[in-house]
Amino acid sequence: MVDLIKKIKVLRSNFDEGVAQVEDKESLQELRNTYLSRKKGRITLLLKEMKNVSPEEKPEVGKKINEFKIHVQQKLDELDREIEKPKYKGSQIDLTLPGKQRYRGAPHPILKYKKRIEQIFLSMGFSIEDGPEIETDYYNFGALNFPPHHPARDDWDTLYLTDDLLLRTHTSPVQIRVMEKKKPPIRMINPGKVYRRETPDPTHIPMFYQVEGLVVDFGITFAHLKGTLEHFLKALYHEKIKIRFRPSYFPFTEPSAEVDIECTVCRGEESKCRVCGGGGWIEILGAGMVDPQVLKNVNIDPEKYSGFAFGMGIDRTAMFSFRIPDLRNFYENDLRFIRQFS
Amino acid sequence: MKISINWLKEYLDINIFPEKLVDEMNNIGLLVDQWEEKDGDVILELETYANRPDTLGHLGVAREIAASQGIPLKDQKFPVVEGDENISDVFDVQVLEEDLCPRYCGMIIKGFNNGPSPPWLIKRIQAMGLSPVNHVVDVTNYVLFSTAQPIHAFDLSKLSGDKIIVRKAMKGEELKVLGGESIQLSNDMLVIADEKKPLALAGVVGGEETAVTDESKDIFIESACFDPVSIRKTWKEAGIQTDASYRFERGTDISFPPEAARMVASLLTKEGGKALKGLVDIYPKPRKVRTVVLRHHRVSQLLGIEIEEEFIADLLKRMGFQVENQNEGIWRVQVPHFRVDLEREADLIEEIARFYGYDKIPSHLPVFQGINLEVNKRKNIEDRIRELLFHEGFDEVVNYSFMDTNKEKLFKTSSEAIEIRNPVSSKASLLRTTLLEGLLGNIVWNINRGAEGIHAFEIGNIFYQNEGKCFERYSLGMVTMGQLDPVFWQKEPEKSDFFHLKGTCEELLRHLKFDEFSFTKEENSFFEGNYSLSLSFKGEKIGILGQMKQSIVDAYSIEESVWAAEINLGSLLEKQPKPFEYIPVSRYPGIVRDVSFISDRDISYQEIKDCIEKLNIPYLEDYVLYDRFTGKEIPGEKISLSFRFVFRHPEKTLLAEEADSFQDKIIQALNTEFGLKLRGGGQD
Repeated sequence: MVDLIKKIKVLRSNFDEGVAQVEDKESLQELRNTYLSRKKGRITLLLKEMKNVSPEEKPEVGKKINEFKIHVQQKLDELDREIEKPKYKGSQIDLTLPGKQRYRGAPHPILKYKKRIEQIFLSMGFSIEDGPEIETDYYNFGALNFPPHHPARDDWDTLYLTDDLLLRTHTSPVQIRVMEKKKPPIRMINPGKVYRRETPDPTHIPMFYQVEGLVVDFGITFAHLKGTLEHFLKALYHEKIKIRFRPSYFPFTEPSAEVDIECTVCRGEESKCRVCGGGGWIEILGAGMVDPQVLKNVNIDPEKYSGFAFGMGIDRTAMFSFRIPDLRNFYENDLRFIRQFS
Repeated sequence: MKISINWLKEYLDINIFPEKLVDEMNNIGLLVDQWEEKDGDVILELETYANRPDTLGHLGVAREIAASQGIPLKDQKFPVVEGDENISDVFDVQVLEEDLCPRYCGMIIKGFNNGPSPPWLIKRIQAMGLSPVNHVVDVTNYVLFSTAQPIHAFDLSKLSGDKIIVRKAMKGEELKVLGGESIQLSNDMLVIADEKKPLALAGVVGGEETAVTDESKDIFIESACFDPVSIRKTWKEAGIQTDASYRFERGTDISFPPEAARMVASLLTKEGGKALKGLVDIYPKPRKVRTVVLRHHRVSQLLGIEIEEEFIADLLKRMGFQVENQNEGIWRVQVPHFRVDLEREADLIEEIARFYGYDKIPSHLPVFQGINLEVNKRKNIEDRIRELLFHEGFDEVVNYSFMDTNKEKLFKTSSEAIEIRNPVSSKASLLRTTLLEGLLGNIVWNINRGAEGIHAFEIGNIFYQNEGKCFERYSLGMVTMGQLDPVFWQKEPEKSDFFHLKGTCEELLRHLKFDEFSFTKEENSFFEGNYSLSLSFKGEKIGILGQMKQSIVDAYSIEESVWAAEINLGSLLEKQPKPFEYIPVSRYPGIVRDVSFISDRDISYQEIKDCIEKLNIPYLEDYVLYDRFTGKEIPGEKISLSFRFVFRHPEKTLLAEEADSFQDKIIQALNTEFGLKLRGGGQD
């Protein structure tokens, strides 16, 4: 009996050696036959020897033989699966060859940037509103407190379609449209295209994107305007960016402000900086408290409510952020340019 | 506007580094774009705002600095050397248009020896970037840049008669303006005339004939106030913008013309000649200074900071305003005429904020009240389309919304284009009527730069007019051409084709849950007749797709086939997508049946699809066309179509007989409707 158990041990180690030597289907079949052939297989032979084992030892020996058989079958099946696989053996195929690429579409950089802006305002609980690109003189100018024949209109070089219709020169008409439709509290942004009568050059283009913002509620103050825009600019750039508010003029806000951020390129340290011209500041936003006349024009009582509004050029801001030297790059639609923004 | 620091010192005692001055000016909203040192002076380039004509002169800028620094303005005296004659005895001014010329002042200087200006004056004129003309003209310019009050000087000897008439031009009148050009006057233009003819275009430009020259001896000085709107209309019509009209159209200080006239007279008679006694001053309706009520509590309500009453009262006084304390916390503020922009409480609050310092106002985030955050449908659909198309390998582009007339003719869009009245260039004289024009331009640009596969889309408005009304239509344009993937060593990349584009359109609509779409063969002006489909949702046309016409791609010199689609997103937005509803996944096995039919070629897939769907077969989970071929074994004008149908019951195992009956129903219907027959005895 002891002999038989020893024999199983030896056979097992022989088998394991045989496994290591299998190279192909033929040698695998050979190994299978050696151990599992119904007539002369080693396991069949072992079973035949069982008749010489005493009845009390039979269960133990039988168990050992069975274990061995399962081991052999499992190993052989494993080998079988492996050999079946149409595999590139390390020695035959260069695994360092390039992998398969696919075209993945890329977003237009301005729209990618626009989305970033939208997400910041969405996180602050602003709604996103739309407005038409073809506007009337009233929404683009009149309701925004531009008197007719006022030189302030010259700052907005306008493309006219008819006496009354024009391509909106800013997104501010959406302020009026939203206030006509909704009552305070209002908290919205409107990103969109605007048009100016400009011949394209590196810093001027006849069509670009702006984002307009408007908050109207009880007790809104200039301090809120500052707080909101600082929060936004820090989220858009970084926590430590320097921000400056300067007095300015827009017919539809009073007081009005312009917002500068420190030049992200030279930080005010280069007197001939291409981006800021050496001043160290970049003008980035126009803003202000909504002019009481504008509130009256949409039947909101300026004694009861107050608000602030702001507008920012998305193209210009994206230009600084990505350090793109020429605004026209955005509208050439060179795929080598666009695909960098995927 | 150029500001000379030396010139400012005529009004202010300041000794300050330019850097510091520029900083302080920025803080109160006088934005200095740049500055340079020049001949012992510093010249600031000041950005001025349309509402602040007072800052278009050194005096106004000096007032601002004085108020901010808390220093007084220097008191200037302008003594005039006068003769014995009274001006009113020898000269008359008649203003016929009081509304257009609310104030008109005149002085006369006789016996002045005109010629080149003294060096100090030449310096001032040059500091403004101008060239000196002659002593008299330079003094008028000096006063303009000093006080923002435009002055005009006439050579008195060239006037006919002893009278100036301020009137509207008469039809047919002409004026030869300074510089020699003759302009036709129209009768809403205000002119300065003598008894015979117009001498100057009021407030805009003088006439050549009465201009002051080196030989001029007797001078009439005009210092007036004109209506801003009339000046603006006039210069626009005449096409002449001058330093004078620039100031008048923004509004000038109506209290100032006498002082400005005396200033001119003083500067001239100091050097020679004598002024006639007195001054003509036609001011029929003297204007009161404006009174604005300012409430202290409104200041903090609007600015979000408590500013002391004392600071406010003090500041307003420093700015030259009369302040009267009406009640506790309420002031009556009299705004002098030089501030044409200040009319309301909010305007004064801005002044307080400016001088208090925007940087000293704190930053707070408002406590936001809940608002109705409706989902923006347009943004929502746009985001989802973009996501899907990026995934499908389409790059996003943005083209200008303009189009030229030649391209318009080439595309022959069915809608009428909107014309821009004052386009940037003739190439951008229309608003685009299709997105595909821009997209084809993008293909050309990128082919020329070596791109081998171009798959691009744009989401934006197209524009058209209908019965005189202008419309914008929110649209999606797509183009695809060339290889679908980058080159790969293992196999040739596939090329884009019609079914790639169509597949993308189908994916898109399914993704947006607009499942009830269908395609119909339909010709249009963009596409080749045999490759042109219209796309509909619930029977309403929402788009087109096909192969760009040869004549169009030829015009762009594109050699390969271009597949393109344009979808009207505006009308999709008005439709209701299928509401999302979760369908439990069935745990029971399905029965798959492959069925091959012989069909006539002219029966479209869409028709077969519509027919199957109309049957509303229960438990038909899915079906797909998996093979389509023609060949020897298929007779004549026929094709073989193989469908795979999957039937599944959600709550039990479907019986083969049940599947058989559904399958028979389909076969029957297709046979009755289109004569489709089973191929080779039926099921394989």
